Amino acid sequence: MIRLENIVATYTTHRGQVHAVEGVNLEIPDSTIVGIAGESGCGKSTLMKVLYGDIGFPLSLSSGKVDYGFVNDRGEPVTTENIRDEWFRRISYIPQSSMSSLNPVMRIRDQFVDFPATAGRKKEVLAQVRSFVQKLGLPPQAIDAYPHQLSGGMRQRIMVAMATFFQPEVILADEPTTALDVVVQKSILLLLLDLQKEMGNTILLVSHDMGVHYQITRKMLIMYAAKVVEYADTDDLFQQPLHPYTLMLIHSLPTIGDDRARHGLPGSPPSLWEMPQGCRFAPRCPLATARCRREEPPLKEHVRGRFSACHYANSVPELKKTLEAGPKLSEINVMELMAEAERDI
Amino acid sequence: MKLAQYIVQRVFAYFLVLFVGITITFFLPRLMPGDPINNYISQVQARAGQSLSAEAVQQLRDSLAELYGLQGNLFTQYINYLKRVVRLDFGPSFTYYPEPVSEILLESMPWTAGLLLTTTLLSWLIGNGIGLIAGYYNKRRAAAVLEFIGIVLYPIPYYILALVVILILAYWLGLFPLSPTFLPGPISWNKVVSILYNSFLPALTLVLAGFGWNVLSMKALAIATKEDSYVQFARLKGTTDRTRMVNYVFRNAMLPQITALVLSLGFIFNGALQTEIIFSYPGLGMTMRAAAGAGDYNLLYGSIVITILSVATAALVLDLIYPLFDPRIRLGR
Ligand SMILES: Nc1ncnc2c1ncn2[C@@H]1O[C@H](COP(=O)(O)OP(=O)(O)O)[C@@H](O)[C@H]1O
Ligand SMILES: [Mg+2]
Repeated sequence: MIRLENIVATYTTHRGQVHAVEGVNLEIPDSTIVGIAGESGCGKSTLMKVLYGDIGFPLSLSSGKVDYGFVNDRGEPVTTENIRDEWFRRISYIPQSSMSSLNPVMRIRDQFVDFPATAGRKKEVLAQVRSFVQKLGLPPQAIDAYPHQLSGGMRQRIMVAMATFFQPEVILADEPTTALDVVVQKSILLLLLDLQKEMGNTILLVSHDMGVHYQITRKMLIMYAAKVVEYADTDDLFQQPLHPYTLMLIHSLPTIGDDRARHGLPGSPPSLWEMPQGCRFAPRCPLATARCRREEPPLKEHVRGRFSACHYANSVPELKKTLEAGPKLSEINVMELMAEAERDI
Repeated sequence: MKLAQYIVQRVFAYFLVLFVGITITFFLPRLMPGDPINNYISQVQARAGQSLSAEAVQQLRDSLAELYGLQGNLFTQYINYLKRVVRLDFGPSFTYYPEPVSEILLESMPWTAGLLLTTTLLSWLIGNGIGLIAGYYNKRRAAAVLEFIGIVLYPIPYYILALVVILILAYWLGLFPLSPTFLPGPISWNKVVSILYNSFLPALTLVLAGFGWNVLSMKALAIATKEDSYVQFARLKGTTDRTRMVNYVFRNAMLPQITALVLSLGFIFNGALQTEIIFSYPGLGMTMRAAAGAGDYNLLYGSIVITILSVATAALVLDLIYPLFDPRIRLGR
């Protein structure tokens, strides 16, 4: 189990310091695929950097640490302190753009064996790599090529191969398929899913695509303005979200056969420089009350295994029904919903 | 295939440059005032201390015109000129008559070529090496010191740099001769040592002169390349700084530096001419200057054509080895 303890991640800029991830407390069970979603700028990539242990100027950890729940070769527990020594051994990373993450002037096989983990046994490793990439649907000669000779999909398969070859406990993937076309995206994600089933790694997957999350992940983490607002099993979360933001994210997902107008998310998230008091989502929330604007809701376990940071988590099902009935978000009678919410408490 | 297309393009450009350059060389001197044959005849007359008969002058004129390829109209002359260029036969030298121009060039060419090849290679390697380190570690203080070398050296005009070097190393410290004296005779160990010793100062100034630019541009390239996704990903792979600096940053950032070298070859040659004159170095530059001073047209033609030929050929060779470093050109897109 990976344990995140009160993580505060801070960027130092010329304007001063800004917290891009604030107060994240989480437990991620082993061998689980966790999806991370939220609007851009909410801190997903920063959280991934913290998890990977890639902390260095301008990013720093103002508080907290990650405990990975396994020990290193010397028998010491692996935490944020020493995770760097485990890069591409126990934890690996699939970058966003396969197009540009490989060195254009080096053969792929040479880029496969310049990890510290392969020092001194390159020949032996390459022989294994050759048969491993075949399993991933690539011809063994693919690793003799230069990156420009492979298609985008093949290159991303190479990235997946690198990330899985050493059988790490944890794989981080930050929007790993955004640059690819939809069909290729899907095949890459299914490949990752297959490999995960076989090796039992924990995968953290950042994606904008709620459809992908629904199909691939077992747990979901929803972020808003540097905070985690909901964390639950994917099935539960899609069926019955407990945070209005999650509901609106899901509701903006088009479903086949449904030609009702989708509601985009009205408004935009607050700037990290000017956080509103109270709940950060309140200015855009149809359920927001004076209490929300005053008091910041903590991430609480409302139902077993289902965490939400909303004072009115219990009213979200009502809001969902209203949304599904069809009216535009602007037409929802907020007063009525609020009255219901008050009654629930 | 893409590579074949690349090679054909380069070779075509090579011949085009040669043709245009050689043609300009033919026409340009003809726009200058004065007639070389008249010049020569008046020199002969002055030396003889008497005036020759009109017939003798005409005879001399005809044979000189034949010797120097000056008979017939401009077009015939041009065609004859091209034919001679192809055979690298520029006729006899005016000042060293009857020694053929090609032989004089054959003697001075290796000096210039040797000096230029060594210094260009050295200043490229050292300059880019320093620039790479300065750029890769640009956040560190020591890197700023390295960059400072480039900033100081780059803007100094070449002749000032040369004079300072002469002043310090030859005049004050007396480590090297003010002007070179090479051992005559066949190649021997002593001769090689004397060549190296005597060429050290001109070589040093050329290396220093080329160096600053390489440092500055490589530094800028390294800083930019360092932020590219493939270098960032290599960092996340846990590769060592050395691996990243050499295999990831340098191997990519050197490509534009090779192209820049090709483009700057002409200027490098220019610099070499100045060097030879300042250091009395017995190369093509000295020959060219002597030829220009004495109105030795054939020798001047010959040395200019050889210059064009060598600069263009060096550029072609670099262009042709470039694909070895860039698989995208070698193996097609
Ligand atoms: N290198 C940086 N320096 C300063 N601020 C940064 C830097 N990287 C990201 N940020 C800020 O941190 C916030 C979160 O960014 P990020 O984690 O990349 O979001 P996401 O991946 O969810 O789109 C954003 O507001 C962004 O402006
Ligand atoms: Mg991001």
